Amino acid sequence: MNTFKIGENTFELAESIIKDLKASDNLGILKCIQCGMCTSTCPAARHTDYDPREIIKRVLDKDETLIKDDIIWNCFYCYTCHSICPVNNSACEVNQVLRQKTIDNGKGKSKIAPFSEYADSYLESGLGTIPSDFFSDLIKDYGNEWIELKANLEEIRKELSLGPMLLPKKDIEDINEILEKTGFTKRLERVRRCKDEKDTR
Amino acid sequence: MNNSNFSRYAPKSSIDIGVFLCKCGGNISDTVDIERLKTSIDAKVVKEFENLCSIKCQKNIRDIILEEELDRVVIAACSPITHEKTFRNQVAPLNPYLLEMANIREQCSWVHSDVDKTTDKAISLTNAAIERVKYARPLDTIVRKTKKSAAVIGGGISGITASLSLAKQGIKVHIIEEKPTVGGNMIKIGKIFSPEKLAEECALCLFNPLINEAVQHKNIDIITNAELKSSQRKAGNFNLLIERKPTFVKEDKCTACGNCAEVCPVEVPNEWNEKLMMRKAIYKPFPQSVPDVYTIDEENCIKCGKCQKVCTMNAIDLKMKGENIPLNVGSVVIATGYKGFDLKKRPEYGYGRYQDVISQMELARIMGVNGPTNGKLLRPSDGKIPRRVVMVQCAGSRDEKPGGNRYCSKVCCMVALKHANFIRRYYPDTEIIICYTDMRTPGMYENYFRHVQSREIKLIRGRPGDITKNDDNLIVRVEDTLRGEQVEIETDIVVLSEAMEPSEGTLSVAETLNVSLTEDLFIKEKHPKMKPVTTDVEGIYVCGTAQGPKDITDSVSQANAAASKVSEIINGGLEIEPTIAVVDHFKCEMCGDCVRSCKYKAIYMHDERISVDPIACNGCGMCISKCKNEAVEVMGQTDSQIFAMISGMLKDKKDGERRILVFVDYIGYVASDNIGINRISYPESIRIIKLPSINRLMPKHIIYAFENGADGIFLGEYPDDLIYPAIKEKVQEIRSELIKNSIDLDRLMYYKVYAPYFRGLASKLTEFDKQVSKALDKLEPVLYKASSKDL
Amino acid sequence: MKKIPDKEILLFKSCLVNVEYPGVESSTKFVFDKLGIEYTISERQSCCTGLGHYADLFDQFSTTALAARNFGIAREEDHRNIATLCATCYAILKKSANILNTKDNVRRQVNKIFDGSGISDLKYKVEDIDSRDNIFHTTEIIYNKADKIPDLVEVDLSGFKVAAHHACHYCKVHHQDTIGNPRDPMVIETIAKACGVETVDWYDRKTNTCGNGFRQRYMNKDLSFSVTAEKLLSLKENEVDILLHMCPNCQIQFDRNQKVIGESLNTEFNIICLNISQFVALAFGADPYKVVGIQTHTVPVEPVVDKIKLINPVNEV
Ligand code: SF4
Ligand code: SF4
Ligand code: SF4
Ligand code: SF4
Repeated sequence: MNTFKIGENTFELAESIIKDLKASDNLGILKCIQCGMCTSTCPAARHTDYDPREIIKRVLDKDETLIKDDIIWNCFYCYTCHSICPVNNSACEVNQVLRQKTIDNGKGKSKIAPFSEYADSYLESGLGTIPSDFFSDLIKDYGNEWIELKANLEEIRKELSLGPMLLPKKDIEDINEILEKTGFTKRLERVRRCKDEKDTR
Repeated sequence: MNNSNFSRYAPKSSIDIGVFLCKCGGNISDTVDIERLKTSIDAKVVKEFENLCSIKCQKNIRDIILEEELDRVVIAACSPITHEKTFRNQVAPLNPYLLEMANIREQCSWVHSDVDKTTDKAISLTNAAIERVKYARPLDTIVRKTKKSAAVIGGGISGITASLSLAKQGIKVHIIEEKPTVGGNMIKIGKIFSPEKLAEECALCLFNPLINEAVQHKNIDIITNAELKSSQRKAGNFNLLIERKPTFVKEDKCTACGNCAEVCPVEVPNEWNEKLMMRKAIYKPFPQSVPDVYTIDEENCIKCGKCQKVCTMNAIDLKMKGENIPLNVGSVVIATGYKGFDLKKRPEYGYGRYQDVISQMELARIMGVNGPTNGKLLRPSDGKIPRRVVMVQCAGSRDEKPGGNRYCSKVCCMVALKHANFIRRYYPDTEIIICYTDMRTPGMYENYFRHVQSREIKLIRGRPGDITKNDDNLIVRVEDTLRGEQVEIETDIVVLSEAMEPSEGTLSVAETLNVSLTEDLFIKEKHPKMKPVTTDVEGIYVCGTAQGPKDITDSVSQANAAASKVSEIINGGLEIEPTIAVVDHFKCEMCGDCVRSCKYKAIYMHDERISVDPIACNGCGMCISKCKNEAVEVMGQTDSQIFAMISGMLKDKKDGERRILVFVDYIGYVASDNIGINRISYPESIRIIKLPSINRLMPKHIIYAFENGADGIFLGEYPDDLIYPAIKEKVQEIRSELIKNSIDLDRLMYYKVYAPYFRGLASKLTEFDKQVSKALDKLEPVLYKASSKDL
Repeated sequence: MKKIPDKEILLFKSCLVNVEYPGVESSTKFVFDKLGIEYTISERQSCCTGLGHYADLFDQFSTTALAARNFGIAREEDHRNIATLCATCYAILKKSANILNTKDNVRRQVNKIFDGSGISDLKYKVEDIDSRDNIFHTTEIIYNKADKIPDLVEVDLSGFKVAAHHACHYCKVHHQDTIGNPRDPMVIETIAKACGVETVDWYDRKTNTCGNGFRQRYMNKDLSFSVTAEKLLSLKENEVDILLHMCPNCQIQFDRNQKVIGESLNTEFNIICLNISQFVALAFGADPYKVVGIQTHTVPVEPVVDKIKLINPVNEV
């Protein structure tokens, strides 16, 4: 049994989410009426144990185990709940903040490590691409034509009279500097380390 | 100092003033040295009494006035709140407004103890009253002559109820209904619920007698097919222009035989049956329509003339023109009703896409004996009795998303239960499932809820996400939130409990009458708690769903309340205090600034002239401060009176003495009196002046006070929603004027007053006195002296 | 409805369009030219961080800083009306603009970084870019000219039954700025109708996500596919030939994965996936390979091309 102790601020978690940069202005967490409309439209809820209404309830109850709970990684970020919630709450944004919290706390880093190559490519060229780690798997699903397309991309783009994809060198340098200063590069290193550990394991 | 405004109103030279002092059985004389007070006052007559308010003394006053041929009277006694009315009645033959009171009890003897200082203050309070009374002008109470007639806009249950009540009180009523028949939404509903009853009642059986009574009442005139086109206020009355659209059928000839409809080739959906049935272009909305005649809907008629040929009464005139009907009425009641939420705004529920997804109003029609299925519950798509009906609550209510309404529509839970009860009783094989967020059945309705529950209805707590269709069924997708499980409910019919929204008529009537709307676009009441059914335009009232979602029970009682408000204003023979704004038409340039500034909508433009509605005006003086031409004045609060009061309060200030002027509204004054009544003290420097509102003050008054020796100015007012924003602006304006005149801002304070928080006010006054003293200390004495010498 | 511009547009390149469906960019340019829309493209513009952002890799501040840089470029190019090819870019840029306009401390920090990086010229000033008035999806730009479309149509595509998939990150994230009802925007259908084709205006699961779910497609493939499958099955039931898109990510999901999903369900869908601009370009008579770029599609678009030939030999390409 859970005891609600006097003097305990059970809204701390909700408040910290509301204050987060990722949360929309006037995010209605505190106004949630537990109507379940989010859940009844949620793709993740349909196919997993995930329940956005329950996520909100747990946030409102300051259930801190939520941050470490794998359940939050089921959300699609499809914003369906966000677009229909009658009180302008958004389980979608709540999830995004929760995941950032667990990334900052350590545990979540391994969850996003597989995507680190996306950032590598961003730093290299100012463009994100699907990480090559996934390629072998994707080719299985997409078929060989897909990898051929990758090989012939330059040619096809020329045929379509499209301009260059890559950014000028100076701009790539600028972007690197920006990301260095926002702290992203450091964050990326930590994520990468997590990936390497996993790879060597 | 020579203030031009002030001198302009200088009184005639010889005015004989009588001052009457009250000892109040020691209440005053214990702390005020009455002898010294008496000798320090300059007036023709100064007399003291033990108890001025006693009948004997009152008679005495009158005798002295006559004997000494006094022109003006000052009473230095208790608070005007207690006895001003009494004394005003006693000064006849003098005009009652030629009397002024000095509050030397609640705001002097009861709050101070030092006899010397208290006496000084009593002298200055009395002096101020003397100065002020010199500028008093005789005023007559205004008797408002309101026409003994009213227009009721909307002929639904609210409009009819209000009209009948008014008619029975001898008031002539014009009902203006935009549809071809009166009856509104209620007449469409077959069965209605009532508090304390576990059974439904027949709407038509309850409502029809009322309609008939209205039709037959000599004081009621029903104008159907009509809309309000324009409205003008004039001397407390309204000139309305009603546009009556042509019906193409002569009401006095048509016998409602219906031959015309039979031959009419045009078929359109019948809106009275929620478009579930068809009607002709010439039609009678429903059998019990009032008036009982056919009408042609202009939009759909192709003018083929077939109906004209078969009409033996020659009632049809396809060339009929509309008419404009002018009405002059004393009051208007808005009873324009509601409209159902447009369910297509929630496309995921499939309304309009799936025939078997319907609204509660459509279900009401389907189950009405005079409806499309003669009262049988049949599925629209195939005419079969449904095996299951699922109701979805809060469709468009309690929903902040675009197109939705954040409020609870209040009736739909009961409507759903009513229909559920009815279905379970007559179709025991039909299952009912209600998907709800909360079931709201407050008060007596909870009994009904229990009753319906016992008929075996299933309740699922959850708001459905979408509704789809497979080969034979509809499917409602919802989370059963109590189990935390997603479910798909198969069903034959889905009924959406649509929200109640303000009708289009409500919006357009509000615009024409210049009545304010709430955030949710219903008609706004002046104060939802204390001034219900009163709109922000004096003489215009609201009732029923035009004011907000409510059921028939509440609509009826609100309609009666509105009627009694109308009767109050019409039959009351209202005497109004003359302390209202008046416009000098020679100075007025018709810029309209005052009209825009008035929060009470009391001042308006009419026939190229600015007029003031004496009932609406509360003399707050907002308009004065906005008028560039000084064309407005508030009677009893003229500039000269205010200046006189200020200079009187500051007269004979001693060296080193501090005087603080406190301007407060009525509530502030009551709170100040309460301080005295509770014998709490504050510094003797405090001098309280009552105004209708601090909005009446202008920077020139404040500067004048500072220049004449005021050390600090304190402004106190109850932060009423309506005028609070203006007060904030006003305080800001005064502050910037102080900056311009290099007066320390610490010498000014604004404070929100509340009648019961007089203790707070007292300590605020004390605190302010200290603050002022500090501010003055830090002031370079030179600067201060210089400015006061400059006068 | 919001005001949609037809000039001073920065056509915002998308990294997924670049490498997966470059024909979407060339088709958009083709259609814009035909509709008389004035636009430019900047080679300095970087990717919005899209996939990385929603894979939780990028933090909101970094994404916002990069958006500020792109906004600076739009300003320098004197083309402040940004039109994105991808719904994710649309949502991310709008969110960033809101943050930069309302959160003074974020804006100050970003500008400090720019100062320190020698790109002070790109610094962000409040209201440089308004989320509602300056950031659009290319589909909206075309929608705004829908009444001009019928006159420009050269190819009769009316034999196909088409349906729309409005990207979630277009209609749901900033729902207050979505054209029409965000719960069922008819933007794509309106354009398709203007091209003279029959559209399936509603089908079960219409407003569902494509199922990509960013990380889900890569980390929880089965979950991702079960969501996509629901929609594909409903489309099949409605006999849809062509599914029209407005986002490369959704297009990948339905086009590239269609075969495997079909196999797992023992069915074949054969639903052609086209971006709405590709579809309009085809209708305007554009070359399927040199403009529309159908050679990069997985579900063959050839049946459409073949039918064009049959129906309208004059326009043979
Ligand atoms: S839809 Fe909104 S209010 Fe309803 S349960 Fe979900 S978060 Fe709460
Ligand atoms: S954003 Fe996440 S929680 Fe919301 S509906 Fe989509 S998957 Fe569910
Ligand atoms: S004239 Fe109009 S109402 Fe009369 S029959 Fe013809 S269509 Fe009907
Ligand atoms: S009355 Fe019931 S159904 Fe209607 S809005 Fe309120 S809670 Fe919802």
